[in-house]
Amino acid sequence: MCDVAKVQKIAHCLGVAPGKVQLNEEQVVTRTSGQNKSVAGFSTILESLANESKSETAQNSKVSREVEAQVYQWIEFSVLYVAPGSRDRNVAKQLLGDLNKLFASKSYLVGHFITLADLAVYYAIYDLVKSLSPVEKEAYLNLSRWFDHLQNRPDVHQGEPLLNFTTIYLHGWATGTHI
Amino acid sequence: MIIYTNEGNPLGLQLLMLAKFAKRSVQLVNLNLNDAKFKDFLILPTLELDNGLRLFSPAAIAKYLFVDEGQLRDEWLEWSTMLLAPALAHHMAVGHRADPNALPVLNALVKKLDDCLKATPYLAGDKLSAADIAVWSLLAPDGTLKGAQNLESLHGWYNRVKALPEVQQVLAEQPLKDLSFNALQQSNRYGGLHHVPLKRLSLADAGKLLAETASTVADTVTDEELAAAGASFTYTAPKDVQEQRTVLPKAGERNVLITSALPYVNNVPHLGNIIGCVLSADIFARYSRCAGYNTLLICGTDEYGTATENKALAENMTPREICDKYFELHNSIYRWFGIGFDYFGRTTTQEQTDIVQEAFKDVHSAGYIITESVEQLLCQKCDRFLADRFVEGTCPHPGCGYADARGDQCDKCGKLVNATELIRPRCKVCNTAPILRSSDQLFIDLPKAEPRLREWVDKAENGWTHNAKVITRAWLREGLKPRCITRDLKWGIPVPHSGFEKKVFYVWFDAPFGYVSMTKRYTKEYQKWWQPAKGTDVELFQFMAKDNVPFHSVVWPSVLLAINKGHTLVSHIMATEYLNYEDGKFSKSRGIGVFGNDAQATGIPADVWRFYLASARPEGQDSSFSWNDLAARNNSELLNNLGNFVNRALVFCEKNFNSIVPEVVATEEELILLALVNRELRGYINSLEKAKLRDGIRHLLAISRHGNGYMQTQQPWVLLKGNDEQKKRAATIIGLCANIACLLANLLFPYMPSTARTLFAQLNAKQTPLNAEKPLATLLLPAGHKIGKPAPLFAKLEQSFIDELKTKYGGSQETKASVQSQSSTADLEQAVQAQADKVRQLKTSTKDKTVWQPEVSKLLDLKKQLEEAKKTAVAAPASAPAPSNGGQSVQDLEKAVQAQGEKVRNLKGSTKDKTVWQPEVNVLLDLKKQLEAAQKAAKAAAAAPAATTAAPPAASADAGQVKALEDKLAQQAEKVRTLKAKGDASVWKPEVDILLALKNQLAALTGAPAAGGQGKGKKKK
Repeated sequence: MCDVAKVQKIAHCLGVAPGKVQLNEEQVVTRTSGQNKSVAGFSTILESLANESKSETAQNSKVSREVEAQVYQWIEFSVLYVAPGSRDRNVAKQLLGDLNKLFASKSYLVGHFITLADLAVYYAIYDLVKSLSPVEKEAYLNLSRWFDHLQNRPDVHQGEPLLNFTTIYLHGWATGTHI
Repeated sequence: MIIYTNEGNPLGLQLLMLAKFAKRSVQLVNLNLNDAKFKDFLILPTLELDNGLRLFSPAAIAKYLFVDEGQLRDEWLEWSTMLLAPALAHHMAVGHRADPNALPVLNALVKKLDDCLKATPYLAGDKLSAADIAVWSLLAPDGTLKGAQNLESLHGWYNRVKALPEVQQVLAEQPLKDLSFNALQQSNRYGGLHHVPLKRLSLADAGKLLAETASTVADTVTDEELAAAGASFTYTAPKDVQEQRTVLPKAGERNVLITSALPYVNNVPHLGNIIGCVLSADIFARYSRCAGYNTLLICGTDEYGTATENKALAENMTPREICDKYFELHNSIYRWFGIGFDYFGRTTTQEQTDIVQEAFKDVHSAGYIITESVEQLLCQKCDRFLADRFVEGTCPHPGCGYADARGDQCDKCGKLVNATELIRPRCKVCNTAPILRSSDQLFIDLPKAEPRLREWVDKAENGWTHNAKVITRAWLREGLKPRCITRDLKWGIPVPHSGFEKKVFYVWFDAPFGYVSMTKRYTKEYQKWWQPAKGTDVELFQFMAKDNVPFHSVVWPSVLLAINKGHTLVSHIMATEYLNYEDGKFSKSRGIGVFGNDAQATGIPADVWRFYLASARPEGQDSSFSWNDLAARNNSELLNNLGNFVNRALVFCEKNFNSIVPEVVATEEELILLALVNRELRGYINSLEKAKLRDGIRHLLAISRHGNGYMQTQQPWVLLKGNDEQKKRAATIIGLCANIACLLANLLFPYMPSTARTLFAQLNAKQTPLNAEKPLATLLLPAGHKIGKPAPLFAKLEQSFIDELKTKYGGSQETKASVQSQSSTADLEQAVQAQADKVRQLKTSTKDKTVWQPEVSKLLDLKKQLEEAKKTAVAAPASAPAPSNGGQSVQDLEKAVQAQGEKVRNLKGSTKDKTVWQPEVNVLLDLKKQLEAAQKAAKAAAAAPAATTAAPPAASADAGQVKALEDKLAQQAEKVRTLKAKGDASVWKPEVDILLALKNQLAALTGAPAAGGQGKGKKKK
């Protein structure tokens, strides 16, 4: 998913009009909203969206300076490491393992509620999770739980078909034909 | 607060500065992420706040410590982490991660900073902010701005920030020289910032702002290196070496025998084959000759075997004629690529027959031949045993049942098939059923040779590439089995054994002896190479793709060990992985990829191809050919780096010193450059000694990069306008650069021979042998040497040109098919090509414009015609087949269904775009429905003939309606056709739906007791 699409999805999640989202001459995502106010940079745009939004997710993301800082670092993480790392087999494995470990003791990335950090990492890792086989999904059980929980929220899936996290995967394999 | 970081991490500096400006006290802890103790750290540096919270993003920390400094500050903060830091990491990377594309990006980013600082004193306005700290701390380590020019505002800001007391205090604790961007590799487990893609900025070229190399490299040069560089930089007059007419190995000297896997004669080699075998072998051989070793490079075409017989049948020629035809093709392709074989032969020679037959007799008398009976299919009509590929039949695998499975493999289920297990086998030539007949075959007893082979492999495999070792070990682990070495064919070397006169040797028994027989064609004293006398060492280097490894590492050595006559065995197996084409496979049948003859047709010089293929050589892992990469390497490495350096050096010499190389009075600057050049030179020699051609290129380019950086920092063009002292400095600089250019010409020769020759001509110098024992740069052009006329060596490859080539060889079948269908366009294309060749030839042979100008105009004219013809060709053929008319007979419908099915299959095979094939699938489904209805009707008619008599009135009653529907249908079909020709799917899709609905109506009408059904039904009975 490209940055422009991610910004638009997240804007929908927050119930904010995305405005005009495009890449500037530096290939950096920019957003021009209402009064011709322009913001450049993925993380900075997400912050501006949160400031305009009244949604619960947005409020959760700025309850304290500490939370704000953590949310910011995960958004940055999603851009610098998750999205590019998904394209390399070894890095992807490391990422999935690290996140899986993290979710062993947490339900959300920051604090105890859904924040922008979850959304940013969710949309960044979506393609990678989609490419996993059932066995692999089971290997990253905590990550899968977090992902499945998020994707079931209507504001997150936004009408896209849900990824399959059922653990009864054998029926899909044994089709009865000779392989 | 505590800062956890790793040694040398430049982002640690940023945190230290932020803390200092925020007036917080911090403690710095260095740690290593590989240590299991620290497995909870994801990214370094990490800041631990006093309340225990850990943050790993410098930007998040900056925002936390300096709460609100405005949106502009936030944007710059993000810019520094997302754009500047990755670009710096790419730029500073060394070794295989070095990225030549980073510099232009970085120049653009630096330009943006400079522009911003022209307007305001600090990045986010009038006051210093966290953004300034972030950006400054990234630019300071590795000396990014050292040697930069035209960045006055940025320099001013940089110095202002540096002078701040807080910064000075931090720098006292954390000296800049301890920091390096390479430390980012160890800052996380995700490969540092290496995977963050470099943004391709669409900004106009920012020009040259930063110096070409990271200047800190110079600080690492030791005094010993400087001394060695100075001592060796002297002039020795070159010795005239008489080139031998015939190269033979000599005792006490290094003798290198090089072979390239024999290309199979009727395959047109593609770029993967070329870099895998012949080109790699040639580059290595050229290096080996430069290094003064006795070198022999042998290759040829492999001509015997089933595939040739097959091809001969297909083209209605004799196998010999086929071989002659394709041998010429191979020869011309390799010649164009500048492959300098000492001998390029073929396996269909008398020498080959003699050597193979003698080898067989030796193996036989040594007791390594066993006879076994093998069941084979015999075609009685053709009177011959059928090779696997000559049999077809029904696939024996349960659940498949494909009717046209080949004797070796089923195309449908992809499984291997034993020809004897095919159900209902048939001869591919005459279609009669072959019978199973047992026939005696000869086997080589590999298990008997295995112990000696293992002993030899243990010693020899050190010199092999990793994949060769792995493949060989895998074979040995499974244990060797006897291998059949005879075949019931006609095209091959007859077996000299009683009872086997009608059989020939299997190609894999005879082909490796081709190396020997071709050497025999080269010299009568071939045995000096292949069975060297005691005291003479011959090293055998064999280049191949990995699929050929077992035959060179197991089968052939076993045969030679069995013969036991002191044959030269391979000491270095140089196996490459596969080269892909733009992330897919090369495919001749689908027209995907660049084949040997295509490379020539592109008009890109052979040397550029050689350079690119060598630098994309699949060493260690598969690599991909990509047009964009080709253009990028040509433009950034050949043109901007190498070509630019050499040309600047020579032009300076010509313009300012009257083409006379000035004297080099080396100061420390020169010695540092020479020491750096020597490092790369050693790397180059070490790489090429091991035939690591890719690394060799890297070192070569690094030398010219050092040269460019040196020239950029020394600025001889400024010195030339100064006083006498400065003019002397300029002379030294130019003298040294000219010498390095000459060194580069020598190093370039193995890769780009004709470019190197051009460069030697421009230098008015001769090639000097490389000293592999002592790889140090020497004075090649003494003071007073007169150089020739400099001229640019390389030309830019424009993106539009590359895009054109990309579509041309992308294998889109439709365009190719439509061109073929229009014979006129095909003819025109041929004419254009012929004319283009003519022009090229003329241009190379003469510089007189008046001679070639008329031909060029002719060419342009032809091209214009061709373009027009193509346009009409695309517009003319309707993309959909004429929709079937109503009231069809079952047979017609069956045919239509089959044709449509074929079309859908093709479409699905060629594209994944559902929108393309979906409409065709719909048509197919519709046709099938019609067919079913028609069949039902036919059956009904046949089953109840009495009913049919009653039917006609009903049918005729409908006839008017049917007619009307048919007319309507034809109109709609015409409409769809014209719409489709225009393209836009959203426009014609609804019309197609209408058409389908009409067809359904018609089918419903005619599918009932239709008149047509009756006749068919009878026929079927």
